[in-house]
Amino acid sequence: MIKANPSDAVGVDLRDVQKWYGSVLAVRGVSLAIAPGEMVCLLGPSGCGKTTTLRMIAGLEKPDAGDIRIGDTLVNAVSPWKRNIGMVFQNYALFPHMTVHENVAFGLTMRNRPAGEIRAAVEDAMAQVRLAGYGDRRPSQLSGGQRQRVALARAIVTKPNVLLLDEPLAALDKKLREQMQVEIRQLQRAVGITTVFVTHDQEEALTLADRIVVMEEGQIVQIGSPADVYERPKSRFVSDFIGFTNAVGGKVVSVTGTTARIETASGHSLDIPGAEGVAAGDEVDLVVRPEKVAIDPPEGSGCVVVEGDLVHTVYSGAVTYFHVDIGRGAILIAMAPNAHGAASALPTSGARLRLGLTPDTVLVFPRRG
Amino acid sequence: MSQPNAAAPPAARLPTSERVLNAYVIAVLVFLALPVFIVVPLAFSDDVSLSFPPRGFSLRWFANILERPEFGRAFALSAAIAIFATIVALTAGTLAALGLVRHRFPGRDATVTFFMTPLIFPAIVLGAALALMLSPLGLLRSFWGLALAHVVLTFPYVLRTALATLSEIDRALAEAAYTLGANRWKTFRHVTLPLMRPGLLAGATFALIVSFDEFTISMFLVGPGMMTLPLEMYNYAEFSLDPTIAAISTILLIITSVAIIVIEKLVGLGKQFS
Repeated sequence: MIKANPSDAVGVDLRDVQKWYGSVLAVRGVSLAIAPGEMVCLLGPSGCGKTTTLRMIAGLEKPDAGDIRIGDTLVNAVSPWKRNIGMVFQNYALFPHMTVHENVAFGLTMRNRPAGEIRAAVEDAMAQVRLAGYGDRRPSQLSGGQRQRVALARAIVTKPNVLLLDEPLAALDKKLREQMQVEIRQLQRAVGITTVFVTHDQEEALTLADRIVVMEEGQIVQIGSPADVYERPKSRFVSDFIGFTNAVGGKVVSVTGTTARIETASGHSLDIPGAEGVAAGDEVDLVVRPEKVAIDPPEGSGCVVVEGDLVHTVYSGAVTYFHVDIGRGAILIAMAPNAHGAASALPTSGARLRLGLTPDTVLVFPRRG
Repeated sequence: MSQPNAAAPPAARLPTSERVLNAYVIAVLVFLALPVFIVVPLAFSDDVSLSFPPRGFSLRWFANILERPEFGRAFALSAAIAIFATIVALTAGTLAALGLVRHRFPGRDATVTFFMTPLIFPAIVLGAALALMLSPLGLLRSFWGLALAHVVLTFPYVLRTALATLSEIDRALAEAAYTLGANRWKTFRHVTLPLMRPGLLAGATFALIVSFDEFTISMFLVGPGMMTLPLEMYNYAEFSLDPTIAAISTILLIITSVAIIVIEKLVGLGKQFS
């Protein structure tokens, strides 16, 4: 079993890191402290600088400004081959001219370890990714999930200080992806290695990470636990990215303490607690997750009831989404699990629906210009 | 789909269009290869003149090659030059390809085009130019002058296959090697070079054949006692058109075929990544 001694685990520290590509500032001053043994996810759309940041930690790109430390060592000018890292590439980058065993052994061979030690360590790592007995195959003879595991084994067999994963599951189908998410998480916990991984898939980030770092246009826009980022996105961008599909326009009427009274575009008035950074008169967006919108709430449940006409129904297997016009064309989407499996019992377009909004599940963001 | 016997055995006969295509392909192959292989029966002819069909059977033309030391000398020179030019072109071509594929710099495309010019320029111009350049250096009619000229000539062939091979290799492979602790040299040695090997071998085969076969440029650079095999054969054929030329050609055909078969068996050109 490959297992880092917990006291061996080191952190990674980025301070004001910048990277230019020609005249484009791809990473605009990223600062991030990753604790030893922590699993951090860089989440964002393509072009947000997450992969560049990861590649700078790996040493495959040089930062134009700022400092990167692995443990106590400033690695700005350290070549990737001297950083003692392990990296899994998006398409695995397995060496096609080598067997699986040779691939996994590569890092140890480069470190001139004795043959016996290499063989034992490789077999250990192969067993850990449940590929014992596959050593003589070529990467081309493996399935996508098996290649993924070989790439993981190859990256951890050297006991690196940091494990870096670049969109490690993007090339797998949904079922395999979910399975590998669990495996990677278990492996990371078992090995106890500081891990940074990059993804554009919010679900993957939520499932895998201890902490999520959301990036937008080369900057960090939010750092928090998965629950934090999921429940309390700090900006409209983050809320969009993390799957808040509902957005209803509105205007701040007044602010009392941190509670804002908002007149919505649909003509409703709502008191939203915890609304920061808005003032009376501001144009805002109200966002709420579809699953937080109650359908036909019981009387006296304390939520604000809005009524509207059902304009569209999206049946998606486990759940159904109801698009409801709550007045003046403003659409609120509610979601309900298909608990009873009776698709025929779903309300049909044109039906009148009562929806319940709980104010503290509604987030207020200034309207994006 | 609705028929129960949809999975019946396929018809034994090929469709007409495919049979026509096959016949055409065979015709092309025969047309291309026949003139080359016609020298083989001629080499064993008992006739003193080079005419088809051969008459009788004799090995005396092969004996004649051995009796004339100039053929042996020319063969040795051509082989030495071909091997030297190929080694130098292979090294330079690999390095040039690495720089050209792995780095983006202004004038990159122009550089590639420039390196390819020996392929495009008329050989006669290149030969004259090389003669003019090598003469003041005192390298005209010398081994090194001839060898340098052949490096210039074979370099584009190696570079072209090296470029093609290298641009097919995923950059992430070298990066993966870096992250696993391999420095640039070890990465080249253990990852990039083995992956380039089929392309480099193909390029080297080209280079050897092109150099060995080169006529026009060599003509400007050779002299008495410094004669390549194609030129020696031409000189001989000018005065006596007997089957000796066919005998030499037959030997060259055998050497080339054996070389290609050996390379194919050793590296399985193209089968590397099945």
